[in-house]
Amino acid sequence: MIRPWVGGLLRRRAGRLVATALGVAIAVALLASLGAFLAVSKESMTARAVRGVAVDWQVQIQPGVDPAAVLGTVRAASGVRVAVPVGYAQVAGLTATGGGTTETTGTGVVLGLPDNYRADFPAEIRTLTGTDRGVLLAQQTAANLHAKPGDLVQIDRAGLAPVQVRVDGVVDLPQVNSLFQKVGAPPSSQPAAPPDNVVLLPQSQWHALFDPLAAARPDLVSTQIHIARTRELPSDPAAAYTQVTGAAHNLEARSAGGAVVGDNLGAALDAARSDAAYAQVLFLFLGLPGAVLAGLLTGAVTAAGALRRRQEQALLRTRGATTRQLIGLAAVEAGVVGVAGAVFGLGAAALVGRLAFGSVRFGTSPATALAWVLGAALVGLLIAAASILLPAYRDLRTATVATARQAVGRQRGPWWARYGVDLVLIACGGVLVWVASRSGYQLVLAPEGVTSISVSYWAFAGPALLWVGAGLLAWRLVDLLLGRGRRLVGRGLRPLAGKLADTAAAMLARRRRSLARSIVLLALVLAFAASTATFNATYRAQAEVDAQLTNGADITITEPPGTTVGPAAAGPIAAVTGVRAVQPIQHRFAYIGPDLQDLYGVRPATITSATALPDTYFQGGSARSLMDQLAARPDSILVSAETVKDYQLHPGDLLNLRMQDSRTRQLTTVAFHYIGIVKEFPTAPKDSFFVANASYIAQQTGSNAVGAFLVDTAGQNITAIAQRIRTLVGTSGTVTDIAHTRSTIGSSLTAVDLAGLTRVELVFALVLAAAAGGLVLSLGLTERRRTFAIAAALGATGQQLRGLVAAETSTLAVCGVVAGAGIGWALSEVLVTVLTGVFDPPPDVLTVPWPYLAAVTVTVVAALATAAAVAIQLARRSPISILRQL
Amino acid sequence: MSAEAAITGSAAVRPPVEGQPVLVECVSVSRVFGSGPSAVPAVREVSVAVRAGTRVALTGPSGSGKSTLLHLMAGLETPTGGTVRWPGLGGSPQGRPGVVGVVFQGPSLIPALNVVENVALSMLLAGAAPPEALRRALAALDRLGIGELGPKLPEELSGGQAQRVAVARVLACRPPLILADEPTGQLDHEAGDRVVSVLLKAAEELGAALVVSTHDPAVATRLCERWRMVDGRLTVAGDDRTEPSGGRREQS
Repeated sequence: MIRPWVGGLLRRRAGRLVATALGVAIAVALLASLGAFLAVSKESMTARAVRGVAVDWQVQIQPGVDPAAVLGTVRAASGVRVAVPVGYAQVAGLTATGGGTTETTGTGVVLGLPDNYRADFPAEIRTLTGTDRGVLLAQQTAANLHAKPGDLVQIDRAGLAPVQVRVDGVVDLPQVNSLFQKVGAPPSSQPAAPPDNVVLLPQSQWHALFDPLAAARPDLVSTQIHIARTRELPSDPAAAYTQVTGAAHNLEARSAGGAVVGDNLGAALDAARSDAAYAQVLFLFLGLPGAVLAGLLTGAVTAAGALRRRQEQALLRTRGATTRQLIGLAAVEAGVVGVAGAVFGLGAAALVGRLAFGSVRFGTSPATALAWVLGAALVGLLIAAASILLPAYRDLRTATVATARQAVGRQRGPWWARYGVDLVLIACGGVLVWVASRSGYQLVLAPEGVTSISVSYWAFAGPALLWVGAGLLAWRLVDLLLGRGRRLVGRGLRPLAGKLADTAAAMLARRRRSLARSIVLLALVLAFAASTATFNATYRAQAEVDAQLTNGADITITEPPGTTVGPAAAGPIAAVTGVRAVQPIQHRFAYIGPDLQDLYGVRPATITSATALPDTYFQGGSARSLMDQLAARPDSILVSAETVKDYQLHPGDLLNLRMQDSRTRQLTTVAFHYIGIVKEFPTAPKDSFFVANASYIAQQTGSNAVGAFLVDTAGQNITAIAQRIRTLVGTSGTVTDIAHTRSTIGSSLTAVDLAGLTRVELVFALVLAAAAGGLVLSLGLTERRRTFAIAAALGATGQQLRGLVAAETSTLAVCGVVAGAGIGWALSEVLVTVLTGVFDPPPDVLTVPWPYLAAVTVTVVAALATAAAVAIQLARRSPISILRQL
Repeated sequence: MSAEAAITGSAAVRPPVEGQPVLVECVSVSRVFGSGPSAVPAVREVSVAVRAGTRVALTGPSGSGKSTLLHLMAGLETPTGGTVRWPGLGGSPQGRPGVVGVVFQGPSLIPALNVVENVALSMLLAGAAPPEALRRALAALDRLGIGELGPKLPEELSGGQAQRVAVARVLACRPPLILADEPTGQLDHEAGDRVVSVLLKAAEELGAALVVSTHDPAVATRLCERWRMVDGRLTVAGDDRTEPSGGRREQS
């Protein structure tokens, strides 16, 4: 019985089977693609994290321990590729004489590097000028001393005679923070800033100069072992982190306390595993709804043919088929659809993986890849079973032959509508989101040094309930509109259906249950597309804001501390080709009570010519109004919210800050008036700082020294213009551009993977939208061929048939788009709010990607129009032959 | 006495058809379904004409081509040979709702419309204003004694009720030609008898020609003329007022 039945299905109901299998395939493909995304993103996160580390481990040899013994232990440890000793000596100061002036610095650090150090650790040192070997000065030290290659620099050793060295080159130390870390100390007790003055010496020279110091003052001289590991790590950042930190602990244990490991590699992987957890979070928020929708789509496709299926089942029952046989037939159909959909979906996912991520891997290891493939396929089979087998079983249990043969049935409200489940879900979702908001939406918690990461999955419940509740509410409203609002619908359909408008409205009213299902599905798909795209657009906009905030402007020239470059230096920079505007910003420090904070002096009237100041950076007024106040009353000052709270400030309050007077080198009290709160400011740190009028500061402190120049290039040729400015300023300032900042400040999640995820999401959303619109309508209309055939047999003209089809199509489109827009907007707000941890800084308003949304809407309308055109063609085919078939 | 009872009890009246205009005329009409070796000739070179006021029973075994011939006359099928003309109807009824009333063999009511809406639909298609269509639909249902079925959905009707609603739909449009395809095929004798009575009554009221295909002799005897189809060919059993131009005559 099964073989002829399946043969018949394949021959006569191929369209139905293909449509259902396509729905399954979309779900499988989406899940498997997301598996590929997670695999690739984790892999790339690990790779990026590892790539950014110059020295994997810095082993601090404890006082009294033989360095050679520790070095031997380290070199014997597994996974260690290179291990070399590096000397650290603290010096009292540096002095350089040249051009008739003598420059002296404060304390500094002199490193002794082995000959092969730069080959072993290429990312640690970058030559700016001069040679790669010999005596090298850090860029800031060279600027402080006004020294260049060939100059003599005197090194002051505590208790010993000073020595002179000749400078061979000036270098940049990109990872200066980790190079001078306090090994073994927790992050909170690490130095706030690396040393300002650094000299790098060849190891032999270093020993000659500092072995005597080590003997006299062992507290000022120490040795570290710098290690490069083999980096054969698991692709999952969490697993890699566990492996690396485990190995570091193992080394510490084997050295019996003689070595403390500064685990730079582990620290980088720690950040990456947190990103990986966020990737997982995004998968849940952005990926799962898509898969659920694909499942719902399959269910709707199956439901569109449910009447036929029930009638076939009823026929078989009248011919004596047993329940077992009927379930068997449904199971076979579900199996055919599920397997075909899973195979096709996995193939599509492989293609998507190849196109979007450059990989067809579904997991970071064979086991996870197999789990993703099997998991996705299993979900496909479950969807097929839930769509076909479950309704068949339910019908067999509850429907009689007579009811199964009914075509329409009196429309009863669904049970959930009677109990107001939709409203309850929305209320519960709202409460959960509110509760989550109180904890600051901390979805991912990755405590430093703790192997496991906790993801707050509870936070997903709120948006999920809102999503389901909004869908059901849309259903209720559509049901209400098509049922009780039938006259209204009839009036609305008159332009399309003319005198048949009321008849069309009557048909819609009687079919409102299946129509509501299609409309809600379409609305949810549109909402999925809208919320995903809006989240993506907002994220990108905020990443840009973050880059702008961090870098300050398109290009920023930061002057070394202690230099006295005045605002006039902006002139030559402004003359560089491609530069549109230059703005000097003062950077000082000021005491408020016992607290030392950064203070930025700006030209309020023109600051926005070089950098953007969104209103979200401020509180107590718009950016424009607060800058106007700074200009109108020069002693005004903007203060961080924390300071306002700590010092109980109110607008207009007098604020006395102590700042260094450049004339006396002493701290002097400068009076300001508090006018508003500044939360963010270009180049400013994350914590508390002040923003004030530059002219007033210059007048009060006797110095107009500039901390940084912000350069606007209108976003054009940033890298090339930055290079021209670098040539202009040489080593006297550090030139950074936003393009470089963009790629470094963002987590690995920002830079690479989210783009891939959203690309996949957006394409799938488009496919789902087209499928939801076209497929559901087309199947629904196919099932209603009898209606149109009867109308045609009664003599309906082509225009009248088109009117009837257009009535249903336009109802589906209008209701779907309106409900989709509403749910999409609400979901976008919730998504952006709940995922606020991903954003830095959090957005004030949503960035709506109108072109994409327009494309989705056009796709849906085009799919609906195509389906309607096909339905009209079918209806106009010989009505008698259709009636004979049905 | 109810209207239904009155109809059921009425005898077939032989209308005077001499000199009446020819409503539909088939000239050597053939209809073949499919092509090649699997081609099925449903109607073979049938020539026949129906005048206004005619009452014809089209009999013959299942698959003999009765339905196809009716569909050709209604303009719902296109002949593969010969010509069908509608001189008394002003041309093809195709796309002109209400010119020819067809009662189909199977269920022909739109499932998503109730009885009144189903009956009103054909008039709406013919261009009637919605209130007028509704009024005439209710009147037609009342005339057939099934006014109380108005709010019901087709799935809530018995087979006989559904066929009477289909007749009401035809009646409401007042067509000059009614073609009924096995209207009693799925009904018991009593229900079938009632439907035929309704059809005769409707034709009488409208002055319409009526052609009923049936393989029920009881139904056939209630009509004045009888045409018989065998293997797609027409063997006319009728009186001299029908106008056979092909086939072989049979006396009933």
